[in-house]
Amino acid sequence: MEFDKKSLLKLGKLARISISDDKLNNLSKDLNSILEFVDQLKEIKTDQVDPTSNSLDQKLEVRDDKVDTKNSAEDILENAPEKEMDFFVVPKVIE
Amino acid sequence: MKDSYTLKSLAVLLENNKISSKELTSEYLKNIENGKELNCYNTISQEKALIDAEKSDERRKSQNLRSKYDGIPIGIKDLFCTKGVTTTASSKILSNFVPNYESTVTQNCDDAGLISLGKLNCDEFAMGSTNKTSFFGSVKNPWKSVNSDNELVPGGSSGGSAAAVSGDLCVASLGTDTGGSIRQPASFTGTVGLKPSYGRVSRWGIVAFASSLDQAGPITKTVEDAAILLDIISGHDEKDSTSSVNPKENYYQNLNSDIKGMKIGIPKEFRSDKLPASTQKSWDECANLLKTNGAEIVDISLPHTMSALPAYYIIAPAEASSNLARYDGVRYGLRVKGNDLIDMYEKTRSEGFGDEVKRRILIGTYVLSSGYYDAYYIKAQKIRSLIKSDYVEAFKKVDAILTPSTPSTAFEIANEPSDPVQNYLNDIFTVPVNLAGLPGISIPFANDENNLPIGLQLITNSFEEQKLLNVARNIEETINYSETPEKWWLK
Repeated sequence: MEFDKKSLLKLGKLARISISDDKLNNLSKDLNSILEFVDQLKEIKTDQVDPTSNSLDQKLEVRDDKVDTKNSAEDILENAPEKEMDFFVVPKVIE
Repeated sequence: MKDSYTLKSLAVLLENNKISSKELTSEYLKNIENGKELNCYNTISQEKALIDAEKSDERRKSQNLRSKYDGIPIGIKDLFCTKGVTTTASSKILSNFVPNYESTVTQNCDDAGLISLGKLNCDEFAMGSTNKTSFFGSVKNPWKSVNSDNELVPGGSSGGSAAAVSGDLCVASLGTDTGGSIRQPASFTGTVGLKPSYGRVSRWGIVAFASSLDQAGPITKTVEDAAILLDIISGHDEKDSTSSVNPKENYYQNLNSDIKGMKIGIPKEFRSDKLPASTQKSWDECANLLKTNGAEIVDISLPHTMSALPAYYIIAPAEASSNLARYDGVRYGLRVKGNDLIDMYEKTRSEGFGDEVKRRILIGTYVLSSGYYDAYYIKAQKIRSLIKSDYVEAFKKVDAILTPSTPSTAFEIANEPSDPVQNYLNDIFTVPVNLAGLPGISIPFANDENNLPIGLQLITNSFEEQKLLNVARNIEETINYSETPEKWWLK
């Protein structure tokens, strides 16, 4: 078993998703099943192959460096769960 | 309401003043109301649609039309950001999100005068093949088996988009396809679903799932309509650096169903004993039909086909885990209070995401984490190269490839397998196309012994959408598939 309780909780920490105790068993079963499925790739030889991160054969264009007025602070903050002046408000980070 | 409504036919009715945009829009809004049981729409834009329709009628009066299709109402997958209209990605975490900007694709539709009826249900963050992962519940397939009254899945993730077209809750819709999310539901609902080449359509303003695979495309009743809608939504967009600079074509105007001399490939790796006999029969019949119409059928090999699905289930979750890191309760969407910042993140994401999305984020986090990155993520990207080169080789020999769209027809909502991997197999025929960045289309070919639609998939080389649509049109013209579901939800 690749995903036991301990490794699953660590993964949850990395992904910032809290996992409750009652979900651990099913989740571990599901993730192990997925892992077992993707592990079949290990049998394929790829030593001489370059990775493809994107199928599009196109170099990234550089856009003109010009000022526009989109994305004002007001627009960006419009959907904020909590805001004050021009800031997002989050729980205190520094004691 | 006539079942024969298409974008093409409605443009003519509007042009000849046989119907106004307002009348048409009201008619579809009524269908949506009567079809609520199908659960196709997350948001119905009743008021806005009627106002927009009136404006279109005024434009028509003053001969100031935005396009031939000005005034035709369509449905939009709830993954496209729409200014002032709630955009949820069918997730609890975005259930209160009202964008203050418009996606390029929906802006293009607006620029053509199309009217949005509302936002269509889908799998949460487009992750699923049954529409069951939606926070707002399953969409029901308008089709039912003749042997059972049980409700069927519409496929996914663009399940609402496909079911709405099939059930006449809109004439055409927008979907997105990361591993089959347009083609698979189109196949399950007897509609036409087109996934364009990666880069043909702008991704700007579409809620991101796996950025190197996501593409938006149309779900329609006919191949002609698919060409019409692709004309409207495609093209370069400076806001999406991966949108292609290749000039867009005039797909509808250049539609030509003559396939004489074309070579159509049948890949042996797609053959399987597990394929239902009726699907195999349709596949064979379609190949024969193309041969009769002047094409040459060529047996080809795509040797790495079976590796596509496992590679996809590394790459897509990896990209998803990165993309979905933005949902943290700080800038928009759901926030669940916590004791400190980290606790707030963890509680927000734990409550805001559903099980399938969490599974994919966790798998994605795992394959990207230190010690596993090379063994999984880089390995999968290398497999992706092999798959891509399979297709490069194949397209040296053939113009298009013909396969089934899905390994089965629509199945019962209650029969969804509990093992996630079993569900992933739904996309076995569609996923390679996304990994290689190619265009693919699913068209309805026949109905099986339960009277459920069977879809076949055509694939061409990158940016050969015209050829793809031409071959699809040839099949459509020849078979004239005209089956429609019985509207049980009206009883």
